[in-house]
Amino acid sequence: MKLNDKSAPGLLPFLLLLTVVFFCVGQAVAEEEYDEEAYGPEEPIVFVKPVKAVDFSHKIHTMGAGLECDSCHDELFQMEAGTAEQNDDFTMESLYAGKYCGACHDGDMAFASNKRCTICHIGVKGFERLHSGDEAPADGHGGGH
Amino acid sequence: MKVKDLEKLENEGTESLPSEERRRFLQFGLSVTGVFLGGTVLSLSSAKDAQGALGGMSPAKKYPYSPHYTMVIRQNRCVDCERCKEACATTNNVPAHGYRTTILEQERDLGSGKKERIFMPVLCNHCNRPPCVRVCPTSATYKDKVTGIVMMDRKRCIGCKTCMAACPYNARYFIETWGVRAIDKCNFCYDTKLKETNGRITACAEACPAKVRVFGDLTDPESRAYKLIHAPEKVVWVLRPETGALPNVFYMND
Repeated sequence: MKLNDKSAPGLLPFLLLLTVVFFCVGQAVAEEEYDEEAYGPEEPIVFVKPVKAVDFSHKIHTMGAGLECDSCHDELFQMEAGTAEQNDDFTMESLYAGKYCGACHDGDMAFASNKRCTICHIGVKGFERLHSGDEAPADGHGGGH
Repeated sequence: MKVKDLEKLENEGTESLPSEERRRFLQFGLSVTGVFLGGTVLSLSSAKDAQGALGGMSPAKKYPYSPHYTMVIRQNRCVDCERCKEACATTNNVPAHGYRTTILEQERDLGSGKKERIFMPVLCNHCNRPPCVRVCPTSATYKDKVTGIVMMDRKRCIGCKTCMAACPYNARYFIETWGVRAIDKCNFCYDTKLKETNGRITACAEACPAKVRVFGDLTDPESRAYKLIHAPEKVVWVLRPETGALPNVFYMND
C-alpha cells in the first residue's frame, strides 16, 4: 500500500507529459504530409522491362533526397510512366554509360548502378507482392514456388 | 579397459591434455564437419590437404568425376527476375506445380530500420554423398558414374517420396502431369540443354541476364567455375554443410 500511495501521484504527470509529447510528434509528422503536386505520385513506379521488376519511389528521390522534378523530367525520363521502358536502350548497359538512372547513380552522386542490385530490384516476388498487397516475407524463406 | 574400471579412474580434465593431442582432436572435428571451404571440394582429399588449402597451399588435387559438374552461384547479383526458372521449365517440361530450381528470398536487417533483400537461387546440389540416393529403395535415383549428376530413372520410381524427405535442399518434387507419376529434379539439363551444347551450359545459366549462375567442370582448371571457386581472397560457401552431403553447388558474392 505504501508503495502505491507513493507511486500514483508521480505517475500521472509523467503520463500526461507522454501524451503531450506523442501529440506533438504526431503533429510534426502530419505537417510533412506527402504532396503529390510537389513530389510526384506517391505510388511506386514499377519497371518490368528489361527484367521484372524495379521499384522506383518518387518519395525517396524528391521528398527524401531533395531532387526537383526537372532533375529527371523530361530529359532523362518522360513524365508518362512506362515511356522509357519502350526504348531498346533501356538496359543496365545504358545506366553504366550514364543514361537514365545512371545519370546520378554513377558511384559519385549516388550509389553506382552496378552495385547493390536489390536496392532497386524487387524481383518477381516483390512484383507479385505489390499486386497482391501482401506484406514483406516474415520468415527467411519466402516463396518457394 | 572395462567400463567399471574406467569409472574408477579420476577425470584428468582437458587442461592437462598435451596441446598436440588437443590440436589433433580439433583438426579431426574440422575435417569431419567440412569447415574448410572446400569441406566440400576438399572433402575428397584428406584432412591434411585441407589444412594446406587453408593456408593457401594446395587445392584439392582430385575430383571423383570427369567432367565433375558444378555450379557457382554469385548470390548478390541475383535480382529474382526468374528467367532461370522460366528457361528451366520450358527446357525440361517442368509443370507449374513443381520446380527444378527456384529463388528464395530473405530480408536482412541493416539496423536503424533499414533492410536489404537477398535472393538466393537454389537447385539440386548434386552432392558427392547424396542422402536422396542413399534412401531410395529402388535405386531410381542414382549418381551418374561419369559426371556425378544425381539422376532419376522414372521407370523405377515408385513415388514413395523418401528422397524428397531426405534431400537437405528441398530440390525434389513429385510430377503428376502428362501421364508421368514420379519424382522429378534438376539433372543439370543432362538430356536437354547440356546434351545440345555438348556439356557447355545449362538452360538456367544460359538464361541468367546477370550471370549469377556459372556452370562448369571442376576438373578443368580453365573453367570459369573452377577459377571462381579457387580465386584468392574469396569467401565461398555451400548450403547446409553440416549434413555432410558434400554438395557441388557453391555460393559466393561477386
